Amino acid sequence: MKFIIKSISKNSGRLGHLRIKESSELQTPLLLQTTKGGSIPYLSADVFGLVSREQQVLQLTLCTMDQMAESLDQWNRSLGDYVGYPDYNTLLLLRDPCEVTPSGGNDRDVVPLFTRRGKESLTAERYMQLVTSFAPDVYQGLCDADTNPESTKKRVQKSVDRTERFMQHCFKQHRELERLKDSTLLAPIVGGYNTFARTQSIKHAREQPKGTYGGYIFEGFHTNGIAATSLNPSQLLPIVDHCVQQIEDELPRLMPGAFTPVLMLELIRLGVDIFDTSYAYCAAVNYKALTFSYCIDKEEHSAFLDVTDEAIKEQFTPLLEGCNCLACQKHTRAYIHHLYKTNELLGPILLMIHNLHHYMGFFDVIRDSISADQLPALLDYVRHQNMSTDINYCIEPNNKTVGKAAMGKGFITAAN
Amino acid sequence: MSSSKLPPLTYKVVAECSVSKARAGLMTLRHSEVRTPVFMPVGTQGTMKGVLPDQLIELDCQILLGNTYHLGLRPGIETLKKAGGLHKFMSWPRAILTDSGGFQMVSLLQLAEIDEHGVNFRSPFDNSECMLTPEHSIQIQNAIGADIMMQLDDVVKTTTTGPRVEEAMERTIRWVDRCIKAHARDDEQSLFPIVQGGLEIPLRERCVSALMEKQVRGFAVGGLSGGESKHDFWRMVHVCTDHLPRDKPRYLMGVGFAADLVVCVALGIDMFDCVFPTRTARFGCALVDSGQMNLKHQKYKHDMEPIDKQCNCNTCKRYTRSYLHHIATNESVSCSLLSVHNVAYQLRLMRSMREAVLVDAFPQFVKDFMARHFGSDPIPSWIREALSAVNIELPPDASEDQAVNS
Repeated sequence: MKFIIKSISKNSGRLGHLRIKESSELQTPLLLQTTKGGSIPYLSADVFGLVSREQQVLQLTLCTMDQMAESLDQWNRSLGDYVGYPDYNTLLLLRDPCEVTPSGGNDRDVVPLFTRRGKESLTAERYMQLVTSFAPDVYQGLCDADTNPESTKKRVQKSVDRTERFMQHCFKQHRELERLKDSTLLAPIVGGYNTFARTQSIKHAREQPKGTYGGYIFEGFHTNGIAATSLNPSQLLPIVDHCVQQIEDELPRLMPGAFTPVLMLELIRLGVDIFDTSYAYCAAVNYKALTFSYCIDKEEHSAFLDVTDEAIKEQFTPLLEGCNCLACQKHTRAYIHHLYKTNELLGPILLMIHNLHHYMGFFDVIRDSISADQLPALLDYVRHQNMSTDINYCIEPNNKTVGKAAMGKGFITAAN
Repeated sequence: MSSSKLPPLTYKVVAECSVSKARAGLMTLRHSEVRTPVFMPVGTQGTMKGVLPDQLIELDCQILLGNTYHLGLRPGIETLKKAGGLHKFMSWPRAILTDSGGFQMVSLLQLAEIDEHGVNFRSPFDNSECMLTPEHSIQIQNAIGADIMMQLDDVVKTTTTGPRVEEAMERTIRWVDRCIKAHARDDEQSLFPIVQGGLEIPLRERCVSALMEKQVRGFAVGGLSGGESKHDFWRMVHVCTDHLPRDKPRYLMGVGFAADLVVCVALGIDMFDCVFPTRTARFGCALVDSGQMNLKHQKYKHDMEPIDKQCNCNTCKRYTRSYLHHIATNESVSCSLLSVHNVAYQLRLMRSMREAVLVDAFPQFVKDFMARHFGSDPIPSWIREALSAVNIELPPDASEDQAVNS
């Protein structure tokens, strides 16, 4: 993996080029496509082809794919090819940023992997064995990331110590394993919200000879799922800034999780380079279409359209006016509301199509803003959407169930 | 003549098998041309589960089925009217066929009772008594706006015997007139009557001849595929197609297993529908010529072949059995992937039959298909008998030969 920084500015973050293996040049800040079981959630590869024709990097997660390891041992083409995307590069994470990772199960020698079939305790040896089976283009080092803003100092220290030990094994194996010689390792930085612990974690990584790893992954700030959408920026940003200050500029920094658009812009401003689409996913599965605007105008915009809202039952307009995604070009709010009410699979499919399209467009605009040194203006616009107060981008779980009383009025009317 | 003057359904036999009753036809509807024999995937609630309209078009699906009962409940006819009909509501530009809603009433609602007025049922919402009459069914179907709609029929269990079968058949004939009278969009939508008569040949014959006196553009054969013996099933289809007019399309309701499709095309049926291909997809099963492939089976865990090498659907182009084994029934995308393959399979089967009829090679197609489908298993006797009735004689089973030799 090659990373070249194109520009760094004091207020506007940084632009770069990333080349993974033989891929074409990818621009940073980069948005990874988050997946479940190797697939972009709800979308088959041909449907995703209707969302984007550009080369993507898949963010695969071991906790949703571990059962495939044995099969992959017998697979002689790329990991991307196995999951239906032969042209895409792959990056392997341990945990799924789309779902809350349960707490607990970490120990001196093991990291828990919460899979569909229950919990597996991963030793560093077992982890590297699995990584070898997958042979991803990029993968993260094993770490104890079970920390959040509430974690005690003692717990945070444990995560740093354990991660150091796991990584000694990972670094060694990474250098030695033939099947991983073309893969890039990302060094995990842990330490919760404690500057001292973070400094230690960074020091452990930087003790490695140059070239041992190709980038950083910031872990231990949240425990995934929609929890990441309600992080407190004033707690998070100083500690991220602290980390960024202590690592070399030349390596890319990945921060997985469903951060709000505002928080993502803040993190980009601090110099984080790589994110994923889990926010778009979390919105879709909670019946929300993303409607925030990133093209500066004078109109007021809201963060979401709630497709469970009875008010849109007969709105024959797109989810988002002016959007040119397939869902907005061909389907209406009324139809998607109907799909929600009837619990039809096409509902989340159309929401994912729209939300991914919208978020990928957002990242295009972010890169343009950085190159024009206009990121602060974009941040301010996204934060307020021309309203007098800050927009709430936090995603609440939507457990609405369709009441029978709300269904079928039309039929009864017709039949009487 | 301007296109608005054309009837909303024209049907032309393009070719006929010189041996069996199979035929290839071209049905022209307001929203699309339909090449028959055709399989119609079921999009019950205004969507084929997990598949985009664009994907169905890519599969060359020409006509979809929608369920009146479900659509009447949700989104309801008021919303459908405001949307400008189901085509616009679901963004499906091609043809749609709707059922009458009666079948669902009787199968889903345990309290439904039928009398001369209509189907009496208790509302699933507030338990009040409601009535679905032939007029209501047509009113809802007019709001949905499908190219082809079905009359409300008096549905009895296929295994029912005795005078109730005859009563249902007679009532179905009477209800056609009420449906025709209530039909408000005859210049855009075509109403099909439904041949009933249980498993009795004389009743089926009487029903066909009574319905042929009505002003209709096509016919459905109903009351089958509900658990009756296959020996009765094919004889009923056979007697209906013997008497139905040659120049109008014939739709056999609820039939969709591959072998049944092949037999019934040989018997002269043009249109089919079935939920089976998409339902089985949700359980991790893929359709192949030899039957069903249950991808959850351990033997596919490391199988790096596509479901079917000959299949050119997007699922077979990109995905291995191994990957599908791991995600089937676990990730919802597997439902979309297998549905795409299964619909592609059904549509390809129908296309191959049509092509075989066009070059008058249908009997050979049937023989080859049955050999692939049953492999070394014996071919069921009802299939042999049904095909023999239309002059297609299948070679004896290999296993029978062995039994004789040993």
